[in-house]
Amino acid sequence: MTDGAATHCPYCALQCAMTLTVPAAAPAAAVPARPADAPLEVAGRDFPTNRGGLCRKGWTSASLLEHPGRVTEPLLRGPDGVHRPVSWEEALELTAAAVKDTRAAYGPDAVGVFGGGGLTNEKAYQLGKFARLALGTSRIDYNGRFCMSSAAAAGMRAFGLDRGLPFPLADLDSANTVLLLGSNVAETMPPFVQHLQGARDAGGLIVVDPRRSATAAFTADGGGLHLQPLPGTDLALLLGLAHVVIHEDLADSDYIAERTTGYSALARSVAPYWPERVQTLTGVPAGLVRDTARRLAEGARQGGSYILTGRGVEQHVDGTDTATAAINLALLLGLPGSGRSGYGTLTGQGNGQGGREHGQKADQLPGYRKITDPAARAHVAGVWGVPEASIPGPGVPAVELLKSLGRADGVRCLFVHGANVAVSAPDANAVIAGLRSLDFLVVCDFFISETAAEADLVLPVTQWAEEEGTLTNLEGRVLRRRRAIAPPPGVRSELWIMTRLAALLDAPSTFSEDPETVFEELRLASAGGLADYSGIDYALLDRGEEAYWPYPAGSSGTPRLFLDSFAHPDGRAVFAPVAPRRGTLPVAAAGAVSAGADPAGPDPAGTPMTLITGRLLEHYQSGAQTRRVAALAAARPEARLQIHPAAAAAQAIAEGDVVAIANGRGEVLCRAELSAGIRPETVFLPFHFPGPESANRLTEAATDPVSGMPEFKTSTVWVRPAVAGSRVEKVQAEVLQMDGAS
Amino acid sequence: MTERIVVVGFGPVAARLIDELLPAVRGGLVELTVVGEETEAAYNRVLVADLGVGRTTAGALALADAAALVADGVDVRLGVRVRRVDRARQRVLLTDGSSPGYDRLVFATGSRPMIPNLTGLNPDPAAPVLPAGVTALRDLADAAALQAAVAGDKRVVVLGGGVLGLETALAAAEEGAAVTVVHNGPHPLGRNIDRGGGAVLAASLRNCGVRVAGNARSVAVETGADGGFSALLLEDGSAIDGELLVLSCGVRPRTELAEGCGLSTAAGILVDHRLRAHHEPHIFAIGDCAEVRCPEPDCMVCRSARGPSGLVGPGWRQAEWLAGYLTLLASGVPGEADALPPLPAEQPGVLVLKARGLTMAVAGDVSAEPWDEEALTAGAVGGRARLQVAQWADPEHGRYVKMTTRAGVLEGLVAVGMPRTAAELVQLFERGAELPADRSLLLRLDGPDQAGATATDPERTVCRCAGVSGASIAAAVSSGCGTVAEVAASTRAGTGCGGCHEDIKGLIEKHFQGAVA
Repeated sequence: MTDGAATHCPYCALQCAMTLTVPAAAPAAAVPARPADAPLEVAGRDFPTNRGGLCRKGWTSASLLEHPGRVTEPLLRGPDGVHRPVSWEEALELTAAAVKDTRAAYGPDAVGVFGGGGLTNEKAYQLGKFARLALGTSRIDYNGRFCMSSAAAAGMRAFGLDRGLPFPLADLDSANTVLLLGSNVAETMPPFVQHLQGARDAGGLIVVDPRRSATAAFTADGGGLHLQPLPGTDLALLLGLAHVVIHEDLADSDYIAERTTGYSALARSVAPYWPERVQTLTGVPAGLVRDTARRLAEGARQGGSYILTGRGVEQHVDGTDTATAAINLALLLGLPGSGRSGYGTLTGQGNGQGGREHGQKADQLPGYRKITDPAARAHVAGVWGVPEASIPGPGVPAVELLKSLGRADGVRCLFVHGANVAVSAPDANAVIAGLRSLDFLVVCDFFISETAAEADLVLPVTQWAEEEGTLTNLEGRVLRRRRAIAPPPGVRSELWIMTRLAALLDAPSTFSEDPETVFEELRLASAGGLADYSGIDYALLDRGEEAYWPYPAGSSGTPRLFLDSFAHPDGRAVFAPVAPRRGTLPVAAAGAVSAGADPAGPDPAGTPMTLITGRLLEHYQSGAQTRRVAALAAARPEARLQIHPAAAAAQAIAEGDVVAIANGRGEVLCRAELSAGIRPETVFLPFHFPGPESANRLTEAATDPVSGMPEFKTSTVWVRPAVAGSRVEKVQAEVLQMDGAS
Repeated sequence: MTERIVVVGFGPVAARLIDELLPAVRGGLVELTVVGEETEAAYNRVLVADLGVGRTTAGALALADAAALVADGVDVRLGVRVRRVDRARQRVLLTDGSSPGYDRLVFATGSRPMIPNLTGLNPDPAAPVLPAGVTALRDLADAAALQAAVAGDKRVVVLGGGVLGLETALAAAEEGAAVTVVHNGPHPLGRNIDRGGGAVLAASLRNCGVRVAGNARSVAVETGADGGFSALLLEDGSAIDGELLVLSCGVRPRTELAEGCGLSTAAGILVDHRLRAHHEPHIFAIGDCAEVRCPEPDCMVCRSARGPSGLVGPGWRQAEWLAGYLTLLASGVPGEADALPPLPAEQPGVLVLKARGLTMAVAGDVSAEPWDEEALTAGAVGGRARLQVAQWADPEHGRYVKMTTRAGVLEGLVAVGMPRTAAELVQLFERGAELPADRSLLLRLDGPDQAGATATDPERTVCRCAGVSGASIAAAVSSGCGTVAEVAASTRAGTGCGGCHEDIKGLIEKHFQGAVA
């Protein structure tokens, strides 16, 4: 047996450490659930975040490397709609021609790029540069807009800096109290749960979730508290907690005086949220609101209190304000930057942290620099060796970019990298229609994802075990991804594709297919920015050193941020008063559960319900990868609607029945799963599934005014049994069709 | 052109209106003047009792900052009263002699406490003179009086069994004061709660250390040698001794300024659905002083309209709506302002008792009983689904729930001693959502079995992270794995979050116990 490649899992932001080994010989004893067809053996590796643990997704990840459905040569769609192999040379020339034609006819902003939070730092960095210099477009954004943008905006506003966890994850181990808002880590990143054990033992795990999620279940048996607010009322709950902290004199007044600004306006803004009123707004008993606030304050004195937010509270039209309210609560208690307490947001995608720092965002340049800041533009233009004026200005955020597809003044030619927008974007039916209206769509992927299926050209790219690079995990720690195996012959890296296309498009500056070369340039480009990587190099990472950004050259990085000061010029954190938006408070009108204006469904006579969307342990994102892993697909082959038995009984829905979930945007057909762990007026759908089971057919492309984050968590829907067997057959027929496409 | 808006009153509702108007003020659309009688800017009156027992601080009650408003360009006049409104000249005449003009005038004068007719109290309701030791607990000075009594171990008598009286009594009792609640009905909250709920509530109050004197008609206030309160005298000749009397007999809208300038009033200042005084397009009223009842006699919405609720939530919603409306008016696009949909009618208010040791929520009409004629008669009544009542009473443990429904939707609710059930019922009531057919589901929310039992099914997944069943682990143990690490190496169970290690240990122990036996 060889030593194997020390790398990290291809999926979520926990980036569990793993070792990949080429099996020496056939194993003597077959082990259950281990994929026999995988060319590599996966083993958990000891690391501070996962401590050797992996979840099912990680364990089975190698089985995709030699999956029969893998794309191994460029595929061009013919006039008959069928994808057929073409040479790389032809593929690249066609692409360059499409870009040139589009630019000539409609201008450079008619070419767009949609990136992903799973791309390595090197790819994300070079993709931003490619868009701006080779394509000359401002129209670049990425799927991280669906995940992290609200918490990022809130963090910037409060602290002057956004790093998901501003402290190492292992700091949580000694916490007395952890308040987890809208995050189901037991399903989304199971090895994370080890770090909650201390709080559970101390009875201080407090989970806020409308569902009795697997994570919420950890609060049982004295582990802590579970608060179940109505969907969309997290903000009012947080204001209530802040109210109790202020009124019961639980705030850290020295900290507030020395380290913050804006306290008195904040105190006034939460005065109207006494616990009994909050109970009326959220459904959380007033006593629990008080207990939670007291516990957080006590925890801060005992071993430490942490407040962590996830997509459940952030993916709303008021997501930035909700994350801000969580930060305000943390600041009142004196947690951020105290060394043994804190606030953080749990980044979702594998490189969701690094992916938001190096130029994939419409409004940013590398190093978390603002694209509108003249000094930032001058610095980056200097590194790139181009005139500052040649860097386009800010583009538009993801939802707006997708809405513009095929429109007269919109994007006509689109590049998609590491994203499956046909499944993961809100109002998926409209997105698919947009993709179909494009003049030219290029998708880089390793499978025919639902988005690739719409492409004119599919370019096959390397998988994690076949490439070198870096990612930045949820703690802001930069990690090395290492190659363990050669890619199939016809597969290329995205860095190579960008380099070749840049040459065909006569782009200025330099592009490289070598990850380390690209990283060396990223270091220079990020130097002096908020996310400064200039002191990090591959050699340092290969020695196993911890590298938390900001890591300016000559420093040793920053495991814990804000210990001395916050990143605003005066060194103080900012209290930004927030309140539920007008019209979001309950009024007399029945069914006023949704913040957005949802069009009535085909059955408006029925009872409207609130749909929340989320994840399952077995699947990742749009499921483009995990649905192709046999063990995972067998465990969770299809979407199931979670519904309360009482709500199901009212509609004569039994366990396993096929139900229709509909509103004015679309309809989903899937089986029902009865669970007393969900509120009776709320239903839950995982968003990992395509076609008739695609939850995002029902979500609305309404966005947060600050961050551009879409509303994924509160859509109004109508649920009814799908009539007769014909519908079941329709589901099965459509599912078969989707499988056939892949 | 800039529009001049004058707000009369500076309580919580006015504060919200001003906050919402600030963008228009900053943008130069509106010139805003606010006139407040108290010397403080708006503070949260709801929490005055908490302040009175020392549970919060005056600073934390603040809802507005006069200096910040002035910096934003608002003309803030504190400690000044409006003497008269001159509608003909569109001016308000103030006690300091000034007379600012207005294009729009908003009354947010709120309400004042009702002073009962008792010998020893000045009967003038508009300007009562209360003896020392008697307070109506309305403002910061009243809170200070209560605070002194609680701190000084004085006996407190609360006259009135309404929600504010009960909250004050409970808070003072919890902070150690000796408290008696005196009310004139058979049980407290007489106007809001049913008999069963009232009885359980009274018992719960006693459990919390509050003395309750029911069916008591008070007639006079007795003062001691120092001129301060010494006892409340009842009609039957008995006396309830104490050092502080808190009057909690309800509130009355402050309408005298509006009446004085010829506006129509009933319980409150009468306004239409756009919160506009009847037949006066320049004057509006919001909050406790306003009564929404439009002039059209055939308006369906107003047929069942009640007077002001005395709750702050509806006032805040009115303030938000009116700010939007006034901003549109000031922008010079009256068409758009008229197109703004009027504020939906308020549902009957929900009362949630603000207390630590006792939880109670009550809303809507709860007078119906399960065995009433209507509930028992089959079929719909006049095309309407019939009223139905579900009830749970456990006086021994201080628990009581009543759900009054029509077609499964709550028309009224009572929940005493059941916090989660109360929270859930209030939600269902507010949203007009249908209750589960099995009403007992709602009672179980406060049961100890919420977490659910652990399954012993061998096919149950023990390790969620790796998706390994108990049966697979048992098989691994049978084939020789004797430690968690060995089981992990063989099956991957326990290799994720590690949360199932105890379960795996249990399965190993079970196996070896079985082998010994």
